[in-house]
This record gives sequence, structure tokens and C-alpha cells, in this order.
Amino acid sequence: MKFRDKYTGTAITLHWLMALLIILGFLVGLYVADLPLSPQKLRILAWHKWSGVTVFLLLLLRILWRLAHRAPPLPVSMSALMKRLSALTHLAIYLLMAAVPVVGWLHSSAAGVSVVYFNLVPLPDLVGKDKALSHLFSEIHETLAWTLMGLVALHVAAALKHQLVDRDNLLQRMRW
Amino acid sequence: MRLRPLKMLWIAAVLGLAGMSARASGIIAEKSALTFVGEQMGAPVQGRFQHFDADILFKPTDLAHSHARLAVDLASIDLASEDSESEIKGKSWFNVAAFPKAVFESTAFRALGGDRFEVAGHITIKGIVRDLTLPLQVHTVAGQLYAEGSTTLRRSDFKVGEGVWADPDSVATDVRVNYKMALKP
Repeated sequence: MKFRDKYTGTAITLHWLMALLIILGFLVGLYVADLPLSPQKLRILAWHKWSGVTVFLLLLLRILWRLAHRAPPLPVSMSALMKRLSALTHLAIYLLMAAVPVVGWLHSSAAGVSVVYFNLVPLPDLVGKDKALSHLFSEIHETLAWTLMGLVALHVAAALKHQLVDRDNLLQRMRW
Repeated sequence: MRLRPLKMLWIAAVLGLAGMSARASGIIAEKSALTFVGEQMGAPVQGRFQHFDADILFKPTDLAHSHARLAVDLASIDLASEDSESEIKGKSWFNVAAFPKAVFESTAFRALGGDRFEVAGHITIKGIVRDLTLPLQVHTVAGQLYAEGSTTLRRSDFKVGEGVWADPDSVATDVRVNYKMALKP
């Protein structure tokens, strides 16, 4: 396979690092939401927020990469419809990777709890303290996170279909 | 006989008015605020108390006869979530069932020059009494006199946040308290 048929090392690293952070962040969020209040819960919530900020920052890098590079071409065997579906899914995943952390940040701001990235960098509060708004952002954050997970599942299923059914070796593009 | 109900109504009205003036707090609640900023996991957390009663007699020209008493309804706390509110009202924090109010009572006012004053007194939280001196800055906005300032309380001084919550790494010891009182003329 020629080099241009693969993503670059930077893109591959960003992809897998973000995949790991997003799935861990989701599981941690799911776990911490129902935990009774305790110092441990506050600690886990802080980690959850930091992982979200990290995902957002990595996403910015990834968008920069995407602007500077062209994604390797899709197999010629794919139909136009499948190519369009693939592009739409990727766009939706990109939007959600931005929206989920930002709405989480909005939720935290509305709750009156500022976000201090790794206890070092204070982020500005996006909105003033407002309990009704805090509940609303919490609901949206959760719904968007589940939607993102649904799309991630679709993304994984599609990758497996390429590998096992179409046997077009598409996964090769994301392998180091 | 026919006048009696009316008479009773009058008596009730007069008693009611008398009662109201006796309860007059000395502040205009809607224009006053009692907020605070704590810190959890190194991140600022805002909150406020929605109900407090103040008896304030403040005369810049007669500080010897000035007096202030502020009673805060701790159950009226507004925090990040219902979870954290019910936790902070509980036994390890304020224990509002046993200690519903935090009270500051002044002992002396002192002029610091200009619009700045200082009020010494003691504060009682959770049955623990400590001396506290509050800075005050006085100013008038649209004919309304305000006295405001802020102070730092150490939650450990009052056993607020005991047991697992005593660790200052999860919730910091210092809590910044901001007060703004709209004084009645």
C-alpha cells in the first residue's frame, strides 16, 4: 500500500488517543453521575472535566490537521451513497466531539462550579449560575454523549464491515 | 354587637402592623445579597443564602450606638445541585436540623476614614462562637444606602465539613463570604 493511502502518524495518534479518552470519559461520566456525593465523586468529576477539555483541545489539533491534509481516498468499490453516509457520520462525530465537552462546560458554569484545567488553568465561566439552566445543560450533555456513543458504535460497525465483509482492508489507513 | 367584628378587625390590623414594625429587619431583602465562593478540587464554587434577617442600626455619626445583628437561614443555601445542597445541610456540614441559623452580632463599630468602617463582633456557626471583624464600605446608589464587604471564614473553625469532608484537598478550608446589605433609612 502506498503511503498516501494511509493517514499520517499524527492523524492516527490523534484518532486513537481521542477514541480512548472519549470512551473512558463517557464510562467515567456514566459511573460518576449516579454516585452519591463524596470527596471521591468530586475527584472523579474533576478528572471527567479534564478529559473533556483534553478531547476538545485535541479536536482543535485534529481539525488543523484536517485543514492541512486530505484524508486518504475511500475504496473505489464503495457506492456514492455509502461515501455520502460515511462523510455525514464523520461530520456528525466531529460536531459532537466539540459539542459534548462545551455543553459539559456550560453545565458546570451554570451550576456555579468553575473548571480549572488540571488544577492549573482556570477556564472562564460561560454563563452565570442558574439552576434551571444547569439542569437543562446536564440533560443535553447526557443526550449528546449517548448520541456520540451511538455514532461511535456505527463507526466501529462500519469499520468491521469493511474489514470482514467487504475485505477492502480499509482499517489499514488507521494503523501505525 | 354589630360593631364587634369590625372592632376586632381593627385590633387585629393594629396588632399586625405593630408586629410588622417590630420584625422590621433593617435591610431591604431584595436588594441585599449574601454570597460565597468556596473551592472544590481547586476550582471555585459559587453559592448564596437566599434568606437572612438583619437588625442593623448604623449611624456613621454615632458609631457608639450603632449595632448589627445578622441571622442567616442556613437551609436557604443555593449551591451547585440539589445533591450538594442536601449534603451541606446534613450533619457533617451545617447540621441545620440542630443549628438552623448562623448569627453575627456586633460589639463595636470603628471608622477607618472616608466611606470605610469596621465592625467587630462574634459569629456563631454550628454552636461554635468566634470573634470576627468585618470590613464595611458604605455607599449610596440612587438614594439607597448600601454597606458591603467580604471576609474569609475557615470552615474548619466551625466544624463545617467533618469526617471524610475535612480534607482541604477536596474542599478548601477557606471560604470567601461577600455581603451587601441595603440598609433601610
